[in-house]
Amino acid sequence: MVNQVPSGIKTRLNEMKHLVGSRGIPPLEYHRPKELRAALTLMGELQDRCRLIAGGTDIIPAIRKGILSPSFGHMVDLSSIRELDYIKKEEDGIRIGAVTRLSDLEESEMIRKYVPILAEAVGRMGSMQIRNQGTVGGNLANASPAADTAPPLLALGARVLLKSAEGQRVVPLDQFFCGPGKTILVSGEILAEIQIPLPEDQGSFCFFKLGRRNAFTLSVISVATWVKVEKETFQGIRIALGAVAPTPMRGLKTEEYLLGQGVSEKTIDSGAKVITDEVQPISDVRASADYRKDMSYILTRRAIRSCLTPNK
Amino acid sequence: MKLPVKIEVNHHSYQLEVEPQETLLEVLKNRLKINSLHRGCEEGECGACTVLLDGKPVCSCLIPSPQADGREVLTLEGLNRDGELHPLLEAFIENYAIQCGYCTPGMVMTAYYLINHLTHFSEENIRKGMEGNLCRCTGYIQILKAIQAAKKYKDAGRWW
Amino acid sequence: MITRERRILSGKGRFIDDLELPHMAHCVFIGSPYAHARIKRIDVSQAVKKPGVLTILTGEDLVKRAEPLPALSDFSGRPGWHWRAPRIYPLAVEKVRFHGEPVAAIIAETPSLALEAADWIEVEYDPLPPVLDAEEAMKKGAPLVYEEWGDNIQFHTVFNFGDVEKLFQEADRVLKVSWRENRVSGFPLEARGCLAMFDPMEETLNTWGSYQCPFRAQHYLSHVLRLPQTNVRVVASDIGGGFGNKINSWKYTVVGLAAILTGRPVKWHESTREFILTGPHQRDVRWEGEVAIKNDGHILGIKARFIQDLGVEISNRDYSAPSIIAACSSVPNAYRLQGLRVEAYGIVTSKSFYGAYRGFGKDKGAKFMERIMDLVSRECRLDPADLRLKNFIQPHEFPYKHISGLVYDSGNYPALMQEALRAAEVDSWRIKQEELRKKGQYIGIGMAFVVEPAGIAAPNARFSGLVQARVRITPDGLVEAYSDRTEIGQGAERTNTLVLSQILGAKTEEIVIKPVTSDVIGMGPISSRGAVYSVSALARAAKGVKAIIVKYASAFFKDDPANIRLEDGTIYSTKNPENRLTFKELADRFYFRPGPRGLPKEMQLNHETLLDVSSSWYSPNNAQNPTTTYTTFAASADLAVVEVDIETGITRILKYVHVHDAGKIISRETVDGQIYGGIVQGIGEALYEELVYNERGELSTDSYGDFLMPTALDAPNIVIQHLETPSPFTELGTKGMGESPIIGSKAVIISAVEDALSPFHVRISEAPATRERVRRWMRNAPER
Repeated sequence: MVNQVPSGIKTRLNEMKHLVGSRGIPPLEYHRPKELRAALTLMGELQDRCRLIAGGTDIIPAIRKGILSPSFGHMVDLSSIRELDYIKKEEDGIRIGAVTRLSDLEESEMIRKYVPILAEAVGRMGSMQIRNQGTVGGNLANASPAADTAPPLLALGARVLLKSAEGQRVVPLDQFFCGPGKTILVSGEILAEIQIPLPEDQGSFCFFKLGRRNAFTLSVISVATWVKVEKETFQGIRIALGAVAPTPMRGLKTEEYLLGQGVSEKTIDSGAKVITDEVQPISDVRASADYRKDMSYILTRRAIRSCLTPNK
Repeated sequence: MKLPVKIEVNHHSYQLEVEPQETLLEVLKNRLKINSLHRGCEEGECGACTVLLDGKPVCSCLIPSPQADGREVLTLEGLNRDGELHPLLEAFIENYAIQCGYCTPGMVMTAYYLINHLTHFSEENIRKGMEGNLCRCTGYIQILKAIQAAKKYKDAGRWW
Repeated sequence: MITRERRILSGKGRFIDDLELPHMAHCVFIGSPYAHARIKRIDVSQAVKKPGVLTILTGEDLVKRAEPLPALSDFSGRPGWHWRAPRIYPLAVEKVRFHGEPVAAIIAETPSLALEAADWIEVEYDPLPPVLDAEEAMKKGAPLVYEEWGDNIQFHTVFNFGDVEKLFQEADRVLKVSWRENRVSGFPLEARGCLAMFDPMEETLNTWGSYQCPFRAQHYLSHVLRLPQTNVRVVASDIGGGFGNKINSWKYTVVGLAAILTGRPVKWHESTREFILTGPHQRDVRWEGEVAIKNDGHILGIKARFIQDLGVEISNRDYSAPSIIAACSSVPNAYRLQGLRVEAYGIVTSKSFYGAYRGFGKDKGAKFMERIMDLVSRECRLDPADLRLKNFIQPHEFPYKHISGLVYDSGNYPALMQEALRAAEVDSWRIKQEELRKKGQYIGIGMAFVVEPAGIAAPNARFSGLVQARVRITPDGLVEAYSDRTEIGQGAERTNTLVLSQILGAKTEEIVIKPVTSDVIGMGPISSRGAVYSVSALARAAKGVKAIIVKYASAFFKDDPANIRLEDGTIYSTKNPENRLTFKELADRFYFRPGPRGLPKEMQLNHETLLDVSSSWYSPNNAQNPTTTYTTFAASADLAVVEVDIETGITRILKYVHVHDAGKIISRETVDGQIYGGIVQGIGEALYEELVYNERGELSTDSYGDFLMPTALDAPNIVIQHLETPSPFTELGTKGMGESPIIGSKAVIISAVEDALSPFHVRISEAPATRERVRRWMRNAPER
């Protein structure tokens, strides 16, 4: 997990005077607490002088690529905190510990049964090696605008439980991100759990990811939708997108537009067009803003249609 | 900062003092001189450094060495026994799945995992399982044939 | 002997990363963060005091102790050529000219200590505006990469073959064509590296590593380091892929110098990022042309302007300047073109240097021609296969002397094309295409035909056409071979072994192909010349050894030489097949008992007492036809069916057929492996591989995460068929192969995508056809 790092966006750091290819990881103080309480105490003491690591799939490349300056000095490794590694079902929904590996999410029977869209989305992230290391908490806390766990979790209406030595708070996921690589986590606070309310009985989910090649690719755009239709009208709808705004986002205007509307090709199409007003994509080495905007429309439309057709 | 760790590598137990900035790849390659491990991009984007950690394929370049404490690592050397190549490796040789050989050790560890664990052993699923192991030489086709042939060896009892 | 594959899989690989010597130090390069800047000051005084640092080299040290990097090609003085080469060193002197250009080399006890010291090096840069587009670089007022040049033109020439003006007058129509390939390179999974050690006993700089061409590297190192060539020895370690990207050895000279200065062995293994930033770049060409045709589809002549973006240069760091000639002379491809005029420009820009990558230059002309074929096919409403069949060089016309001066050795292009059409079931795909169009789904059928010239021997290419091979039977009866054919994964060891086994009847386990070193003369495995030069020389040497064996055996078995057989590691005469000599027994007699009762008197008097033959080989094609810079001409036909999602721009490959003629094949599976690998590389080039510099001149695609190469899910299933038209020129009828797959696949995917989008009148003039580009072409299509 890395706080405050603009993933995928290169910055030239003052300290990086030279291009050395792959930067080395400098000597660091390393802590491997076995309990959450110990980790929180440590984080409280070290404040900005530490970075969190769980799977290492974001922080190590960030250091090597020169995006993250390794001058923080201390690394707090959360991967031994077993109490943060779980997938369980409670009355009100599914709870996932932040240190749960992405591959465990993908292969979990519970996830596949209750929230298959999450398993599907996670299965398209990185590679098997990355998924065996990376954690869901790390993916969210890294807060890349292209974080692939975010759109399905947003479409599921997920919340996150944040803990610090002082206490805890629960926040809807769509309020968790505040900018590229930025979350509302304060110093000494950790994302501890993801809470997914059990999906309503009716309604279906759909997830699309578009990259630049067929596999093992960062998202140029990802879309997750939840649609519930009653009596030929949209009774419930959530549209979540990744990589088209400073943070993973919900298309709230689009949802508002479609809610209550009759289901037809026409409304789906005009609804999907509204998304182009809501997204704020940038142009980068992966894609232009124009293409991302265009694909927001195309894929939102497809995702809604797909939710409406009898399932795969 | 030196940290004591105990890692089992290819069925041998090692007590080591590691520095946290050393990745598992560096410890295995530089300290333990594991010949088959190949240094690729060191950013988790090519899979050349893939090992099995507690039985699961990971990029050893992304793992801080202290994280390997108390865990088991398996590389290609750990598959072979008594100078005999593992049937999976024989399948690779028989199917011309090795050209330059640089991606091969990582590819083999991933393949070993897939053959043992993939429930639906379709071509599509094998390809998906291999997506994290880049190969620039072979175009993957003979590697796929090798994996399919190796699965047949396993089903016929020629496996370990 | 244990094969290379088995050895590597047994944990006994010898890649550069595996090599170690006692007291070894490490070299790490520091590069410029600027694409273009003056170096005002470099201060290493703080850094050199850091723990573990032995020394730090900068450009000034190179100027004092080494020669500038030599211009490996020299076209100056050639009539009609404007040509120059810069004066440069492997570490920047006074100026940096591309993002990542090495400015210093830190030699330290470990790579980590070197990296820690790196930030203590003070470099003061005075940034200059970079020049990032070849056409912009040609304009007056553009920033100059080399101020002393006055402009950014490294070369300019006009190739004129046949009478183009006359042909244009005879034409029924003249079509305009535009085609551009963006910047790409190979980047095998293992980056460059070497270990160097100066041996004071033999006063020799020994170096082992990822050297694709040890003999050429020896020459290069000896020149730069001011050592007689005899005091430099280069040994190829196991190499994790080459594709031409490891022919250059300019960074390796710094490692050699460090070894000399420190007296310690020095190892360098660059990171992937450095390989991408400072490695050889390729493609990046633009063609603007006109094609003169007859209404029936005969292509008469082509006029074109060709601009190649060379990055900082094409002359000193790599042997790539002949690629310009290759590009232009390969335009006619497989067709009977009668006139060609190409005005060629090579423009320097603020990017990494122009090097070699599978295809080299001959890929470019062929791809341009295939685009023209598709254009003519659409404009004249002619079936693309019929059009090609109509224009092909016909089987009876070989050897065919082309207007380009190349003499094509043999081939049967119509048969290749027909077989591809049949195997791909093109007719039923066309029917499917029609059906799907009605449903708003778009599939495309693409076609490409490529001739692959192999075995370069150009007048201005060093060591051109030279090759040596040596075969001997050792005192203990093994067959030992020395070749210039470095193993880079292409199966050199395997196919060399098979050749020797076939000629000498030796068991493959008793054949040893020695690691390739600079002791053996030859250009190395470039230009697919392994099967042309190296194999021919090896075959000659083996036949020489066989002749000595037969002579001995004829006397020993008291039988006619014609009745002597070499089989399964034994020698016998058909008169009495039970009485056999093993190779070991034969060697025993030659080495340990050559005297009066050993070798036949005649052999003693003729001094034929060694089972050891060194042979060279020169191309008869090149000897008889000096204008043919290539010796053999493999060919292939590619047919692909793709589905294009017009809303997202995603291209899916539904079918891929490749029919190939590489003359006599030694190992079919090895050839197939080269084909699969080359095709998948070409698919990557066609759909997403691209090196992109941002507006500051920084390479944005500096890792595998952004310079995307195909994964296992991106590679399609590929159907391969073979045809063999042996070469009349090589010793065994073999032809160089391995490059046509990467050429044809890029062309065929572009062709197929264009065919899929043909209802919208989209014409593709740029590669890669990324998803975003395809979508943009759709949105801008005239017919929507």
